[in-house]
Amino acid sequence: MSTTLAKISRRIVLFFRKPKVVKTTKTLTSVLKNFYFFFIMFLLYLPIIIIAFQSLNSSRNANRFVSFSFKWYVDMFSDSQLMEVVSNTLTNAFFSTLLSTVFGTMFAIGIHSLTKKARQKMVFLNQIPILNADVVTGISLMLIFKVLMSVFPNIFVPLPETALFFRVSLTVLLSHIYFSLPYVVLSVLPKLSELDPNLYDAALDLGSKPFDAMMKVIIPAIKAGIFTGMLMAFTMSIDDFVITFFTSGGAYDNVSIYVYGQIGKIMSPAVYAYNTLLTLTVVVVLVGMYISSAIKQKKQALAQIQHNRLPN
Amino acid sequence: MNIKKLGRLVTPYVVWLSILVMIPLVMMVILSFFETRGLDFTNATFTLSNWFRDLRDPSVLKALENSFTFAGITVAVVFLIGYPMAFILARSSFANKMVILMLTIIPMWSNSLLRNNALRNLFSEQSFVNDLLSKINLSFVLDIKGTPSAIIAGLVLTFLPFMILPVYTVLEKMDKSLIEASMDLGASPIRTFFKVTFPLSLKGVATGVIMVFLPSFSGFAVPYILGDGKFILVGTIIENSYNYNINFVSTLSILLVIIIFLMIFFVSKVDKEGESFL
Repeated sequence: MSTTLAKISRRIVLFFRKPKVVKTTKTLTSVLKNFYFFFIMFLLYLPIIIIAFQSLNSSRNANRFVSFSFKWYVDMFSDSQLMEVVSNTLTNAFFSTLLSTVFGTMFAIGIHSLTKKARQKMVFLNQIPILNADVVTGISLMLIFKVLMSVFPNIFVPLPETALFFRVSLTVLLSHIYFSLPYVVLSVLPKLSELDPNLYDAALDLGSKPFDAMMKVIIPAIKAGIFTGMLMAFTMSIDDFVITFFTSGGAYDNVSIYVYGQIGKIMSPAVYAYNTLLTLTVVVVLVGMYISSAIKQKKQALAQIQHNRLPN
Repeated sequence: MNIKKLGRLVTPYVVWLSILVMIPLVMMVILSFFETRGLDFTNATFTLSNWFRDLRDPSVLKALENSFTFAGITVAVVFLIGYPMAFILARSSFANKMVILMLTIIPMWSNSLLRNNALRNLFSEQSFVNDLLSKINLSFVLDIKGTPSAIIAGLVLTFLPFMILPVYTVLEKMDKSLIEASMDLGASPIRTFFKVTFPLSLKGVATGVIMVFLPSFSGFAVPYILGDGKFILVGTIIENSYNYNINFVSTLSILLVIIIFLMIFFVSKVDKEGESFL
C-alpha cells in the first residue's frame, strides 16, 4: 500500500517537475507571440483587404457590397481621368527610378572611395533629403523652381506626350530624383564595403580602362544593392503625395493627388482596381524573384555536393 | 589602391545637394523676415511679424499643439506596438525571415492615401466592412471618423513599418553572445532584456522615432482624410497658404527645420557612431 502511494506521489512530483512547467509556459508564450504577430499583420493588411473587396464590388456605393464583379478591372482602362494620372505616375516613376539608380550607384562608388572623414560627411549630407519633412522638401523645391521660372518660363508645363512616352513634368521628375537618390546611395554603400578593392586594381593592371573595370568588376559585385535601391526608388516615387503636390504647379496630377481630390466624394472603384492590381503585381514579382533565387541556391548547393563527391 | 581615385564621381552630387538644400533654406530664412508679393521683392518690407505676431496667432498655436499631440501619441503607440513586433521577427525561428520582412513592407506598395481612405470608410457609421459582415449576420461599427482617435489610428498604421524595420535591423545585427553571457551570469530573461537587449537597440528606436515623428508632425493628408477636415495642423496651414503667403509658409518651414535639427541632435546623442539611419 505504502509503495503504491509513494509511486503515485512520485508521479505527481514528476508531473510538476520543472522541465514540464517550462515547456508549457514556452508553448504559451509562443502561442501569444504568434497571435500577436498575426494580429499586427492583420491590422497592416486590413486596409488593403478592404480596397480589394471594394474593387470587386459591382456598385459604386462605397458603403454597400452589392455583388461580386470584375467589371472595374476592365472599365478602368476606359476611365480617361484615371488613366491619365496612372500613366503620369508610372512614367514619372520609370524615369526617376532609372536616373536615380544610375546616378545613385555612381555617387555611392564615389562616396565609398573617399577618406573616412569625408565619407561620413557625405553620408550625413545624403541623409538630409530622407530626414527632412516632406512638406519642407516640397516647399524648398517649389521655391527653386519658381526662381528658375525667370530663366525657363515654361518649367512647370509638362512635356507633351510623344509617340514613345506619356507626359513628363520636369519639375516633378527632378523632385522625385532628389528624394530617391539617397535611398539608392544607402542601399549600394554597404555592398561596396564588402567589395575587395584589389579586384578593381587587378582589372586595371590587366589593362582595362577605368570605366570598363567599373562596369565589369564593381557593378556585378554590388548588383544586389543596386537592385534594392531601385526597388526603394520605385516605391518612393509611386507612393509620393506631398512633394508632387507642391512641385507639380497644379499641372501634373499623380494617383495620390487624384485620390486626395476625391476624398469624401463618390470615388470610382476603378481606382481600387488599379491599386489592387499594382499591389498584386509587386507581390508576384517579389515572390517570383524569391523562388528563382531559392532554386538557384539549391542548384548551387547540389552542384557543390556532387563536386565534393567526385573524388570517390 | 586605384579605387580611391573614383572620389571625383561624388562632386556632382555635392553640387546637386548644396543647390537643392542650401539655396532654398537661405531663401526661406530671408522670406520669413519680409513681407513680399510671392518671390517679387519690389516694395518688400522688412518685418518681424511673421515670427512674433503670426506665429503666436491662436489658430497657429492650436495647429502646433495638434501636431505635437498627434505626432507624440503616434510615436508612443507605434513604439509600443512595433517594438514587440520587431523583437518577435528578430528572434523568430521562422524558416525564412526575408519572407516575413517582405510581408511587413508589402503594404507600403499600396497607395497610402487609398489605405487611409479605406480606414475612413471603416470608421464611418455605415461602413463597407459592416455591410459585408451583415451578410453573415455579424456586425462591426466603429464610428470614430472625424475624431483624434481616427487620425492616430491612421498615422499608426501608415508609419508602423518605419519603426519595425530599423528596430528589427538593430536587433538582428546584435551580438547574441552578450545575451548568452547575461543569462549565464544568472540574470533572468526579463532582466537581460532591460539591461542588455533594450539599451543596445536604442539606436534603432531613435531612428524609428524620427522616421515616424517627422511625417506625422508635418503631414496633412492623413489628418484631412480621417479627421474629416476638422483638425488644423502645421501641414494644413502650409497646404492652405503656400500660394498666397509664402512669407509665413517659409517661417513655418524654418520652424520645422529647427525641430528636425533638434531631433537629429537628440539621436546623435543616443548613437555616437552616426550610422544608425536605415
